[in-house]
Amino acid sequence: MPDLGRAALIVCLGLAVYAVVAGAFAASTRRRRLAESAENAILASFLAALVASCVLLSALLRHDFSFVYVWRHTSLELPRPYTVSAFWGGQEGSLLLWLLVLTGFSAAAVLLGRRSAPSLLAWTVPVLGAVTVFFSFLLVAVASPFATQAAPADGLGLNPSLQNPYMLAHPPFLYLGFVGLTIPFAFAMGALAARRSDELWVVITRRWTLVAWMLLGFGQLLGAHWAYVEVGWGGYFAWDPVENAALMPWLAATAFLHSVMIQEKRGMLKIWNVLLVVGAFALALFGTFLTRSGILSSIHSFTESSIGPWFLGFIGVVVAGSTALILSRLPLLRSKTRLESPVSREATFLYNNLLLVAFCLTILWGVAYPILTEALRGEPVTVGPPYYNFFLKAFGLPLLILMGIGPLIAWRRASLRGLGRIFAWPLGVAVASGVLLLALGAGSSIPGLVGYTFCVFVLASIVLEFVRGTRARQALSGGSGPAAFAQLVGRNRRRYGGYVVHASIVLLAIGVIGSSAYDTTREQRLQPGESMTVRDYTLTYQGTTQERGPNAVELRALVDVERDGERLGTMRPGKNSYLAEQQVSNESAIRSDRLNGEDLFLIAEQLQPGGPVFLKALVKPLVNLIWIAGFVFVGGALIALWPDAREQRRLALRYGRAEALARA
Amino acid sequence: LGVARRASPARLVIALGVAAMLAVFLVYTSIAGGTPQLRPSELNGRTGEVALVGKVVGRVTGNARENGLRFRLRDVEGKTAVPVVYRGSVPDMFRTGRDISLKGELKNGTFVGKSGTLVTKCPSKYTDKKQS
Repeated sequence: MPDLGRAALIVCLGLAVYAVVAGAFAASTRRRRLAESAENAILASFLAALVASCVLLSALLRHDFSFVYVWRHTSLELPRPYTVSAFWGGQEGSLLLWLLVLTGFSAAAVLLGRRSAPSLLAWTVPVLGAVTVFFSFLLVAVASPFATQAAPADGLGLNPSLQNPYMLAHPPFLYLGFVGLTIPFAFAMGALAARRSDELWVVITRRWTLVAWMLLGFGQLLGAHWAYVEVGWGGYFAWDPVENAALMPWLAATAFLHSVMIQEKRGMLKIWNVLLVVGAFALALFGTFLTRSGILSSIHSFTESSIGPWFLGFIGVVVAGSTALILSRLPLLRSKTRLESPVSREATFLYNNLLLVAFCLTILWGVAYPILTEALRGEPVTVGPPYYNFFLKAFGLPLLILMGIGPLIAWRRASLRGLGRIFAWPLGVAVASGVLLLALGAGSSIPGLVGYTFCVFVLASIVLEFVRGTRARQALSGGSGPAAFAQLVGRNRRRYGGYVVHASIVLLAIGVIGSSAYDTTREQRLQPGESMTVRDYTLTYQGTTQERGPNAVELRALVDVERDGERLGTMRPGKNSYLAEQQVSNESAIRSDRLNGEDLFLIAEQLQPGGPVFLKALVKPLVNLIWIAGFVFVGGALIALWPDAREQRRLALRYGRAEALARA
Repeated sequence: LGVARRASPARLVIALGVAAMLAVFLVYTSIAGGTPQLRPSELNGRTGEVALVGKVVGRVTGNARENGLRFRLRDVEGKTAVPVVYRGSVPDMFRTGRDISLKGELKNGTFVGKSGTLVTKCPSKYTDKKQS
């Protein structure tokens, strides 16, 4: 079996090399059959990666400890779902997952591209092949998941922190997002190499970026929820370098998804858009480099591994190669129109882009600061959450307000009188809400109060847009309100899907502000029978229970919870002692209030059977809106992504001629 | 950014905006600074808050919630070690042999950790075979 896995990886590498060489030769000499052969090599490389993945998965499920990887990351007692998630629990397996997703996306891009933009594929295929060469080479020569040994009786087990249902989904979603950014990069580079000046590549790139962006965003939220329920410090995002590494490409992709609309509508920002696509891909690679190089101190980035320099070299090649290509194609990227007014929709999109990119670069600066200071001053200096939180407020609050302004303001040029008329209603609602919140005591945090007022402004703008659009549709075609609403969204999926995504960001902001600016924490040592209070909750420690779980001994503190004299139930924070892994893991207890979105979060420390407990209790208002925002976000992105036959026809008409010319 | 090259008020606004953002950023970074990250061998005579990175060696004694958790922290690749006392939350995976990071300062030859800053590095992912 390991030989089959190794052979499949070598075949994958060979096919990818062929796709690069044959594809580039075919594109430069315009040999169509050879180009198709290179495309087929991309399709076949997916099958080879699939075979290699099946070999590893089968070894994991059979507990075949003759595979070093299986021995190091699983044990006989490990529950089956986590035996599957061990596939991406270690370096070699996660690289194989990366290759599988990469070749899968590449195959999908080839199959879809053959129908919608065959001429664009010519130079896109060699780029996809080159990225595949890099990852398959790493798996063949540097970090093979198919190394073998004399099989030990049992494995070392999986890190207990990774034994959580969220770990079944969080890493694959992140990989889908990271790797998905390869496809827009390949199409952008392919279009530049082919000297294409039409906007077809922009349309294709936007769709693929939207897919990758949605998956990356959702993956990050899953990771945040995992940290919240499993890591047990009561938070969900710690500005750790590896968390930042996932956030940076997402921010760059967010900027691109906005600025690409200006290119489609007004033919502007072409260079900027290509730079954002390259930046998002390079940042995705940089994130992987950070995780695996050991160059930074992080809860995620571990001891130095040998693949760090390979990633650094590859990032260098990607950045240098794409910069050279962009410079050589500058004449093709000149804008056809100019920004007419600083008060227009394209201008607000531009400000939004500047803020997003500035925030992204600020995070990059913070992540790289220890490396730079070590190089310059001889000792690394780290910046912590206060640095990032400062810039989150400095850039996040203006971004929030722009999210409300951008969709309502006119293209090209807006008059002040027009602005007053458009924004009177949302502004009035926001100010009234701010005053009400102040009266209710939200003034204890000024950034929180400002943030909430901005959130209300954005939500009011979104509601206004939906109401106006529905009324206009009803006036145009008659019918009921709900029917007009459905028609409105169905006929303008990109636009209204985008508004739903904006609503999700507002929900996220409300949840983050509530749980960070208005939270309460109390810690107390309790003997059995003693009580403590936090906000309006009374917590009584009743004692402990101990049970044997499938792979751990589970010790729990029994804590009765009351609020305003009403008994709400018993919470069970505690710790698990994992047998195979010989590790202890804190297990927090969370009680969510469905009515107000608030969580009561309990952590039991220093717990011994029958003894006292050091109880830490946190009340986190509105935190559940963060998780709800994740589903609204995916819903909005899917609406925007859903195929629209009318738009397809419009695009076919607009770009059919360009395709015919390119193929001639 | 692809904006046409004729004089435009928008370009001025954008340029000023970018410059203002950069200025705020640089001022903040230079004022707020950061925390130096040191190994135990680099700690000698150092005052002020630092982040200490090293490997936990020897026996771990005491209680993090009462008189303090006591252990020695050694250079990950070296022999110099420093005694540490820490009060506060302790990560699940803290134990002898783990690489950790914590903030604090040196007082009378003992590194006094700051509550809530002890971070244990995860040992199982993304390491070379030879290092595990």
